[in-house]
Amino acid sequence: MNKSDYFIQLNQVTKDYQLGKVIVPALKGVSLGIGLGEFTVIAGPSGSGKTTLLNLIGCVDTATSGQVIVAEKDTARLTEVELTDLRLHTIGFIFQSFNLISVLNVVDNVEFPLLLQKKISKAERKERVLHFVEKVGLQGHLNHRPNELSGGQRQRVAIARALVTQPKIVLADEPTANLDSKTGQTIIDLMKHINETEKTTFLFSTHDHHIIQHARRVIELQDGLITKS
Amino acid sequence: MNPFLLIAARNLVKNRSRTLLLGGAVASVTLLLVVLLGVVAGVRQTLLENALALSSGHVNVGGFYKISQSSASPILTGFQPIKKLVTETVPNATLILERIKAWGKIISEEGAVQIPVWGVDVKREKEILGKLMLAPKRDYIEGFKLAEGQTEFEGGVDQLANRAGIILFATHARKLKVRVGDTVTLSVPTYRNMSNTKDVRVVAVLKDLGMMSAYTAFMNDLDARELYQMQPDTTGQIMIYFRNLSEASDGENKIRKALSERGYPMLDKDPNPFWMKFGRISAESWTGQKIDVTNWEDETSFIKWILDVYNALTFLLTGILMLIVVLGLVNSLWMSIRERTGEIGTLRAIGLQRSKVRLMFVIEAFLLSSSSAAVGVALGTLFNLILNSLHLPIRGEAFQMFLMSHTLTVAVRGQDVFFTFLAITIFLTLGSLYPSSKASKLKPITAMNEAV
Repeated sequence: MNKSDYFIQLNQVTKDYQLGKVIVPALKGVSLGIGLGEFTVIAGPSGSGKTTLLNLIGCVDTATSGQVIVAEKDTARLTEVELTDLRLHTIGFIFQSFNLISVLNVVDNVEFPLLLQKKISKAERKERVLHFVEKVGLQGHLNHRPNELSGGQRQRVAIARALVTQPKIVLADEPTANLDSKTGQTIIDLMKHINETEKTTFLFSTHDHHIIQHARRVIELQDGLITKS
Repeated sequence: MNPFLLIAARNLVKNRSRTLLLGGAVASVTLLLVVLLGVVAGVRQTLLENALALSSGHVNVGGFYKISQSSASPILTGFQPIKKLVTETVPNATLILERIKAWGKIISEEGAVQIPVWGVDVKREKEILGKLMLAPKRDYIEGFKLAEGQTEFEGGVDQLANRAGIILFATHARKLKVRVGDTVTLSVPTYRNMSNTKDVRVVAVLKDLGMMSAYTAFMNDLDARELYQMQPDTTGQIMIYFRNLSEASDGENKIRKALSERGYPMLDKDPNPFWMKFGRISAESWTGQKIDVTNWEDETSFIKWILDVYNALTFLLTGILMLIVVLGLVNSLWMSIRERTGEIGTLRAIGLQRSKVRLMFVIEAFLLSSSSAAVGVALGTLFNLILNSLHLPIRGEAFQMFLMSHTLTVAVRGQDVFFTFLAITIFLTLGSLYPSSKASKLKPITAMNEAV
């Protein structure tokens, strides 16, 4: 694959955190490219920089140096409004702690990102929401609120919410970390199925070896550096 | 339903203890403001009613006549053509009548008071004077106790149709130690710098109407003419009444313009009652007649300060309370923002713009403040209606004077209720802008990390 074919491209990216007077490097010059349709795992132990890498790709954080290009856009040159817009239209997020809106039910949670996109009719919204809720197997829980769902069901809602805007890429930060192994396996299977049927790119972090073996591509991180790609 | 509205509403329900506490405080302040505004409006309404019954029309055409540079008489000469012109200029007026203004000393064996005395034609003013109530004897006869067979009231306003009578208010009857049937001497300085006197009999004692009644007594207009040796074409002032108060301002302007265009010399607008203008007019160098057009507010301006004090106290008190409530709201929003930092981060991450985060919290503050204000105005209005229906007696003389009535009158005006609702809602919603703005500036990553 040519460099220009990558949907996401990182060039010599570093990220430092300041903890008091101490500067802690999280990424030490990472370069990589990810193409559309990939099902890629970022693996590595805790503190290796997996979450930082996902945050930079997801445009929720900025690099200390280097270049992060998402959908042909250099994220360092985008304004706050443009970055938010990029996240809304191009990227879907699945969080370790599900991060659902507690006061909204399943349908409302899934529909929420669509309401932020202006040119979608009510009928289309409804159709898309029901399609993805059905896809994650929650059609029987449409009016349930997050606190009425199990961990696995909550993560399914999060997956539906991430997919409903039909993003080019879905970023998932340890999506199975708060789930038992059986449920975690089901969630990974679901993501893989969606990757195959909807052609959605998945990039997720994990340190669970059982899950890593399902990935088509594994990027290994160690102390802020890529050791295998 | 709008998702932000839904989130706001559900968050308010979720934190119901905090919502109820803060909503209760907002509703209480709103209720207080509605009640206070009702009392002030009630006093204003009473003041208007009293003024219209005692000393003023909605609009008045009076004047001063100076036979020499140092004198000033509150009379209107050649009033018939002026009255005709007024009648033609404001055909919407419901009543136009004239009264004679006197400024004299009422002397009894026990004391004397110097006050304005109006010369009135009782038959013509039945509608106006009929609104005044007789005072019970205990109001002006010291140590009076109603014995069996006795009546609580004596005399009557209509007896002023007979010559040589005077109607006093209870405050003056007490001071002069007189009752109905007693004779007092009325001494009036005439326009030729002499004093004329006349013995008159008290025909009625009226219930006090606060501060205004301290400046009013009535006598037969023919007696007033006799005392002042007035020509038939001379009067004190023409009083013009309209169906609605809102017509007064336009009517005043039209009358002033019509008189001016007809070539009558006019006094510049001076928003004071006639008896407060003597000094100024006497010091002016012109002679002859100048016409003075005033409205009811001008004629009661000497007690308008009471309304100003009420208004100032109302706004000071509610201002302080509003500030406390706004601080409470800001604090509550801060707590809500802290509790929902993770949610803010998540929403920002999935594509919610900063402006929408701000909107989300402003909507929450708006929902809380508008619903609480609605409850407050509803309860306040109900409370005012109940207060009004009870006709609560006002005991202290000082309170009676300042509230201008013997019973508490609370006016329920739609505009006050609407203003209160709007003011509370807007003020509190604006108060939420700062914390909302701070919440919107949270970086998604920072917000998500803080929540963890």
